[in-house]
Amino acid sequence: MIEIVTGDSRPIFRQIVDGLRRQIAGGELPPGSRLPSVRGLAQQLRISLNTVAKAYAVLTNEGLIESRDRVGVFVCEPRQILSLEERQRRLEEAVSQFVNSTYSLGFDDDELIRQVEAGLEQYAAGHPNSGDPE
Amino acid sequence: MTPSDLSVPNAVETAALSHWYGDQPALQDLTLGISQGGVHAIVGRNGSGKTTLLRILTGFVQPSRGRCQLLGEDCRKLPAAVRGRVALVSDEHALPPWLSAEQLVGLQRASYPTWDQTLFDQIVDLFSSSPTQRVDQLSRGERAGLCLALALATRPQILLLDEPTLGLDVVASRAILEVLLLASEPPDRTVILCTHQMDEVERLADQLIILNRGRLVAASEPEAFRDRFSSWVAEGIPASSVGSVEGLVRCRTIDDQLHLVTVDRDPNLVEELRGLGATRVTRSALSLDRAIEAVLSQPGA
Repeated sequence: MIEIVTGDSRPIFRQIVDGLRRQIAGGELPPGSRLPSVRGLAQQLRISLNTVAKAYAVLTNEGLIESRDRVGVFVCEPRQILSLEERQRRLEEAVSQFVNSTYSLGFDDDELIRQVEAGLEQYAAGHPNSGDPE
Repeated sequence: MTPSDLSVPNAVETAALSHWYGDQPALQDLTLGISQGGVHAIVGRNGSGKTTLLRILTGFVQPSRGRCQLLGEDCRKLPAAVRGRVALVSDEHALPPWLSAEQLVGLQRASYPTWDQTLFDQIVDLFSSSPTQRVDQLSRGERAGLCLALALATRPQILLLDEPTLGLDVVASRAILEVLLLASEPPDRTVILCTHQMDEVERLADQLIILNRGRLVAASEPEAFRDRFSSWVAEGIPASSVGSVEGLVRCRTIDDQLHLVTVDRDPNLVEELRGLGATRVTRSALSLDRAIEAVLSQPGA
């Protein structure tokens, strides 16, 4: 179930992309799960069809979901379609965001690293295959 | 023959359009093109010219100066065929108080071969009023729903809406939103929505048009508009030292921190603010409503 809010600094389509990406990554939406149709999600969230279509297009381009003609929209089997450069760029972006938002919290580096490790472990526990490439 | 005869004309096309009420300008040199299809939200403060523009587009008001076309036809003399493809829902929801919904349908469907009774019933159902009730017995929300149903059941190619949820309670506003979403589905329909509700803009609009004091301030996709703005918090400098910062649209001091909003500024403003003496600078994105508010509240705007 995706929730959106208006008045946020993230556009609605971005909130949908982030929300679904998180649910797919977190295993709440395993491969093969069926997503609401564009119209269905638009009705559910009370937003325009175009906004949902745009969000689904982003996730489709990332290889996370696929639309099967007349059947519906489904979560794909995980595969790596991003280039190494792109993956590195995204990693750097994520690290920089992480550092920006945790720097002023007053934890020492060891504590931050320990927490990240714990987070990764927790994630891996929900994803038996996430360590294997392909 | 003009180029618009050869291709698909814009839904709306104005050039140097101006209008005065007495010596009071309502629209000033408005040059605007609205392509066919999609939801175009027009946003602006009260008195920014939104309602005047809708009245000119539908031929109720003759503009003082300039060009104004609807589907390629001059708005001063719209042919009946074009007029029949346009529906306007005004914020007054003015209907003859002594008529019932049934009687209004009787009048309306006679003049529209495209009349869609199923759609009409479906919309009126959302507002749970009875078709035999007189207009003066309806609540404000029911009257708004009826107006929208009467307009949409003609299956207009262009739907003009002037603050459709003005003064409505939360339930009626939500019902109107659902009707607007339904109304925006046909890809060949152009919806022009004047509103103060930023929630409606975010949920519905493909294009955002901002008017201020009768002038065009911006016309783009809502996200592209929002992306032009950044919010900054700077510590260690007084407001007096940022007066010359390029792109500054807003500046407030809160708890010894300077809160700035800028437009069309690159991240190098961080260095600029440090150069002016700031000890700490953080940047964040702005929500759409705050970006719009920042533009409309500028003293010189």
